[in-house]
Amino acid sequence: MNYLTTASAAVLALATAASAQDLPGSFEGVTIEAKLIGGQQYEPLYARIAEWEAATGAKVEVISKKNHFELDREIKSDIATGQLGWCVGSNHSSFAPQYPGIYVDLRAYLPEESLADFVPGNIQSATLDGKLVMLPRAQFDVSALYYQKDIYEKADAAAFEAEYGYPLAVPDTWDQVADQAKFFADAPNFYGTQYAGKEEAIAGRFYEILVADGGEFLDADGRPAFNSEAGVEALNWFVDLYQAQAVPAGVPNYLWDDLGQGFASGTVALNLDWPGWAGFFNDPEASKVAGNVGVAPPPKGSAGIRSGWSGFHGFSVTQDCETPEAAASLVWFLTNEDSQKLESAAGPLPSRQSVWEHVIAEAEGDAYRTEVLKAFQVAAETAFPVPQTPSWIEITNVLYPELQAAILGDKTPQEALDTAAEEATYILEDAGEL
Amino acid sequence: MDANASARLKKRGSAWALNIALFISMLIICLPGLWIVLNSLRPTVEIMAKPPVWIPRELSFDAYVDMFSGVGQGGIPVIEYFRNSVIIAVTSTIISLAIGMSGGYAFARYRFKGKSAWFLGLMLTRTVPGIALSLPLFFLYAKVGLIDTHAGMIIAYTALNVPFTIWLIDGFFRQVPRDLAEAAQIDGCTRWQAFWQVEFPLARPGIASAGIFAFLTSWNEFALASQLTRSTDSKTLPVGLLDYTAEFTIDWRGMCALAVVMIIPALLLTYAVQKHLVSGLTSGAIKG
Amino acid sequence: MKASRLPPHMMLLLPAVIVLAAVVVLPLLLSLWSSFTPFRLTKPESVYQFIGIRNYQRIFGDMDFWIAFGRTVLLLTVALNLEMLIGLGLALLVDRQTRGQRLLRTILMFPMMFSPILVGFQFKFMFNDNVGLVNNALQSLGLTDKAIPWLIDGKLAFLAIAAAEIWSSTAVFAIFILAGLMAMPRDPQEAARVDGCTPWQTFRYVTWPFLMPFAFIAMTIRSLDVARAYDIIKIMTDGGPAGRTEVLWTLIARTAYSDARMGMANAMAYVAILLSVAFTAYFFSQLGKARAQVAGDW
Repeated sequence: MNYLTTASAAVLALATAASAQDLPGSFEGVTIEAKLIGGQQYEPLYARIAEWEAATGAKVEVISKKNHFELDREIKSDIATGQLGWCVGSNHSSFAPQYPGIYVDLRAYLPEESLADFVPGNIQSATLDGKLVMLPRAQFDVSALYYQKDIYEKADAAAFEAEYGYPLAVPDTWDQVADQAKFFADAPNFYGTQYAGKEEAIAGRFYEILVADGGEFLDADGRPAFNSEAGVEALNWFVDLYQAQAVPAGVPNYLWDDLGQGFASGTVALNLDWPGWAGFFNDPEASKVAGNVGVAPPPKGSAGIRSGWSGFHGFSVTQDCETPEAAASLVWFLTNEDSQKLESAAGPLPSRQSVWEHVIAEAEGDAYRTEVLKAFQVAAETAFPVPQTPSWIEITNVLYPELQAAILGDKTPQEALDTAAEEATYILEDAGEL
Repeated sequence: MDANASARLKKRGSAWALNIALFISMLIICLPGLWIVLNSLRPTVEIMAKPPVWIPRELSFDAYVDMFSGVGQGGIPVIEYFRNSVIIAVTSTIISLAIGMSGGYAFARYRFKGKSAWFLGLMLTRTVPGIALSLPLFFLYAKVGLIDTHAGMIIAYTALNVPFTIWLIDGFFRQVPRDLAEAAQIDGCTRWQAFWQVEFPLARPGIASAGIFAFLTSWNEFALASQLTRSTDSKTLPVGLLDYTAEFTIDWRGMCALAVVMIIPALLLTYAVQKHLVSGLTSGAIKG
Repeated sequence: MKASRLPPHMMLLLPAVIVLAAVVVLPLLLSLWSSFTPFRLTKPESVYQFIGIRNYQRIFGDMDFWIAFGRTVLLLTVALNLEMLIGLGLALLVDRQTRGQRLLRTILMFPMMFSPILVGFQFKFMFNDNVGLVNNALQSLGLTDKAIPWLIDGKLAFLAIAAAEIWSSTAVFAIFILAGLMAMPRDPQEAARVDGCTPWQTFRYVTWPFLMPFAFIAMTIRSLDVARAYDIIKIMTDGGPAGRTEVLWTLIARTAYSDARMGMANAMAYVAILLSVAFTAYFFSQLGKARAQVAGDW
């Protein structure tokens, strides 16, 4: 019996793989229910759904459109109540490990050559337990260092060199970022840099500096290992800047939007931030620093590793979907070359090699855009995803209050990290991962 | 200067002081609201400016134009949200008033065993925070197919509002003298006719004030709506506010513009009903 | 017909009972069950695994929970009392005015038009330390040259949250007390003045006892739906930083959805519900007393 089902599944997979050669295929009369991420940045792509419908004869019904975090809640509620009959869902590489087993392996439905163009690193991060659970769209996120160009012209370079022992230039290491942030800061009117101080945001930043300093978040056995020497060094970067008042006093409550608005208000010198802001920062309607923005690759840590915490949005197909071939075709269509060209034209980074080349060629003659793409391309080369455990978000929820406690001086970094590591261990034990 | 005049002066002085105090407190109440209106009219660069720009340099309706310009071009489905909000808030208000009238009448006009326990029990259902209710309710709704429907939201908000409408309306019926209805019945009215022709008109202010509270609660509710609605089929305006947030960004100006769209109908309605409101709350409080 | 045999008052109450049973009581029973399980959203089968009172034991031994509990009680006490005082002041000021009542009353209710989630965003931006309205105003007026970390310092953040909460909810008190003032017979006040009472004495012994039931009904209503404050706090600080503004509702929501530990969250929710029940029952009894007094005086 078991053998039979496996065999028929394999036959089915073979059959569909063969018919999928001619993507997008034909699915007359099929209706696909989809849950999509909403928001200005993500919506223009959905205009392409009509094209897919016209090409395949199928219909798409968008049964939910919410922002990232609301959608996460909704999908968890669906898992809890067994409401997974819808077919296509927006997904995110940081959240995907939390939904074990609800999404199909897309390789079973799509021919290998249709996947060849994707950036290999992205495909790797989208593969969990050997299953390709999502196809990345052109919403790849890794950070780069935005800075105000003119402060490097106006600053007293001699004084800087006298104090810190090296010439003033756009920083390439986290230590240099810290030095320069302190040098530029003039609270409360001007700050050297800033960071998001809560939730996954600070946990992620801590994670990437930890890696850049040569540390590990979880060790080879999957045990929390961030309370190491490298962990303390990474956390001290945050603590030190906060205590030197080189960052706004409010950072422990900042999230991404506060950072973007802060840099756009012209009161922050250096800002490690996401590609989605590149256009905003250089738009005179929205930003006071427009025309004055430089972009450099993300800094390296003490181990010489470049930080590159990354994530991307994509689409997945559920196990319970009754028409997975059609659903997979839609997912492919929304992430194909034309779709990615459309999305990345507005600024977000692609996840296909051909589209990377395309956007770089398009940007020719636009000095700012070229600078942005160059910096992010360097960042993308060494980018890495969050630890691939279903408990990542839960661990960040016990980690970030401890990071905050250290930043605010309630605890020493070692104490804070030890407590967090202990709680993270409980979480992993409770989840049966240890 | 005689004593009389100085007393008068003193009185006028304190009257002025109180007027000024009133003015300042009204200003404090209005300021955060006006700030939202102002922000919806200014470019983001000015909202977030430092040093701050106190006197707006340029005002435009761009945010409103954007909002209506269609999904994908900077717009959000505001018409659908508005429609959903109106349908859900109005229907659930009407239903909870009807249920409240029937329940309030029972408490005001009948004696029965365990009356105060029943009353307290009904009130206490309102203490359950939405966040504790949202998942189990979602679970039930999923079983009966009420997720993302107007009906589901209407039922949920009706339950939210019923305890309060019963309370206010109960107080009102108590205030209407029993003799009036009895006299009407003696004159040949049925109990039902007596209710509609005598007791209902007298209780109208109480019903109006219960209605405005119920409407505002439904109009502004977020915690349950964010769990039970999903698409433009039923998403309401407060949930729509989150359309202006993305993973890394918040469009504060757009959000302010949508907020203004949300506030104006509520404001107009309150202005129209508030005369009843004050008189309506009176009897509910005194006659328990 | 069986239904018609029900006594008429039960027939009249039936719709209310049905709706509340379906939307509140039934879900509550479900969540009561799940509070005795290790239910995780991402592992639906775990809802069938009975673990007794282990969730409750964990909660009772958890200091963070009790700190959040204490902070919730403190916030409610501070906010409700201040709201009552300010509402009383506003009502007295508005009541004096002979002209423009309609406009004044509408303004008084203005904050009620704001969805709590909007109030959260609004006050978060106003209290932003770098580009927020409050610090900008203080700096422009020369009152401070620092960026006051409103949402960071535990005490200040508590104040900021209380301010948002008070701004959005004082209207309920003001409008109820105003209703009381307008319904109040003027004779006793006149009589008190003729007898030579000072304005304070008149207020203390004549006006206030009359207004008490109104204040308590507002108090009861507010304590019924204080959980609205969740939306505000969620947006402003979400309990942070470092748990400095954690209240029960933020803790429950994070445990339930972000950590997906629904069973544990429901156990916490039950403790939170008991807290609101206690508050509400207390105000109900106070309301009863105040009413009895007014009735006796008349």
